[in-house]
Amino acid sequence: MDAIKLERSDLLKSFWRYVFMSQCGWNYERMQSVGYCYSILPILKRLHPDPEDFKEAFITNLNFFNTNPVVGMPFIIGAHAALEESGASLETTEGLKVGLMGPLAGVGDTVVWALYNSIIFSIGAGLALQGSILGPILVILLVFFPYLAVRYWQFFWAYRQGEKLITAFGSGAIARITEAATIIGLIVIGGFAPSIVGVKTPLTITTSAMVNGEEVVNKVVIQDQLDAIVPYLLPVLAVGLAYWLLKRGWSPTRVILVLVIVGFVLGAIGVLS
Amino acid sequence: MNPIIAGIILGVWGYICVYDMLATNFIMASRPLIAGTVTGLIVGDVQMGLLVGGTLELMALGVYTYGGATIPDYIAGAILGTYFGARTSFATGLALAVPAALLLTQVDILNRFLNFIFVHRADAYAEKGDAQGFERMMAYFSHMIWGFSRAIPIFLGIAFGETLVTALSNFFTANPWINNGILAVGHLLPALGFAMLLKIMPVGKYFYFLLLGFVLFAYLKIPLLGIAFAAVAITLIFQSLKYQPKEVA
Repeated sequence: MDAIKLERSDLLKSFWRYVFMSQCGWNYERMQSVGYCYSILPILKRLHPDPEDFKEAFITNLNFFNTNPVVGMPFIIGAHAALEESGASLETTEGLKVGLMGPLAGVGDTVVWALYNSIIFSIGAGLALQGSILGPILVILLVFFPYLAVRYWQFFWAYRQGEKLITAFGSGAIARITEAATIIGLIVIGGFAPSIVGVKTPLTITTSAMVNGEEVVNKVVIQDQLDAIVPYLLPVLAVGLAYWLLKRGWSPTRVILVLVIVGFVLGAIGVLS
Repeated sequence: MNPIIAGIILGVWGYICVYDMLATNFIMASRPLIAGTVTGLIVGDVQMGLLVGGTLELMALGVYTYGGATIPDYIAGAILGTYFGARTSFATGLALAVPAALLLTQVDILNRFLNFIFVHRADAYAEKGDAQGFERMMAYFSHMIWGFSRAIPIFLGIAFGETLVTALSNFFTANPWINNGILAVGHLLPALGFAMLLKIMPVGKYFYFLLLGFVLFAYLKIPLLGIAFAAVAITLIFQSLKYQPKEVA
């Protein structure tokens, strides 16, 4: 019996199914399982003409699955398609999915969510707060094209690499990429946080004294004094306070409440603006 | 715009935001910056969309770092905040957006739980080998629980919240100190977004990179994009030194 080959149209169908349905039906029980199964189904249909055979593959591919939906999921589907085509057993393909979903979730979440998105959304939101629509437009452009390109490229690259991938992943490349993303992230946060957290103090201290019979008014703007010591001191303190509370195990919601109360009271009495 | 019609349109927009988050990721419509700006376009007040969306975005920055985590619902927050902000004032919009986002956190847990229905239906289809039935369910229904869990609260808030919000806004205008307080909150909240990002990073090990970024901005006045480029260069240099093959003396 000749092995069945996948057509390019099967792969494209699988790719677009992934794009339009990847995490639909996400649930606590098996997370992305139904979205994954829906995406790989055209491949399974082609490669398992026997109904019983197909049924078994269908059931197996509804197992638990979860990874990063942008960097990770298309990669795994592509690699899975290659393995399936080479006639690998269900144990092998499940092993591939389970083996790759954890590490790729780590890389994807760090590089795409924590790093890339944080940078483009910080810049975009910064522009938006200055009243410029270019902020969100820039973000949309930097999401739409790069995301689709990265997802498409990943899917087909992983498909072409096939079985070679599993060994390639042992090489420590993932740890290095994650480290690079972490360092870039820290430098960027160091610069972005003070630029975007806009707290200032409007306080001024006015003193008047009689000099040679004339009244001299001396006005001290507190914000200028602070800037002379350490620029952006208040934003740094605000981030530091929030970070310290989170580190102590406070939930983000509790920290929001603290910031709302502190900000509101200090704003209302005119200490912060 | 009639509040009922506005509620329907923005409810649909909320549904689209959810769907884009779940699957397509074309424009990241679920992020408050985008959800808010488009709401601003729909209601004819882009500036309000930018302000409310931008403020919520910075506050939320760090919550989008892990997939699968339940977070405050900034989609509904940005949409409701922008809509009511456009009808009253930025302070009122922001004062509504934050509690709306927090309140709907519980809804997120509920819909992530209720979605188990789909996985059990899928099992039944698979047992019968019925791929078509499964595909129909995925295409037409798999996004509904999540989508409507946001679209309905948005619709109800807009269609029936008007009188309440107007009363609130009048009260704020009569008491300017409340406005000042809310504006200071708006400036302070972005601190949380950055703090959450920092929490998942090894700040203790690499604090000097954080300091470097601060110096680049605060003292050298490099614009944000410049800092991002500098960060890439510094990281490449750091790694090429760190992973250099040891020379044999």
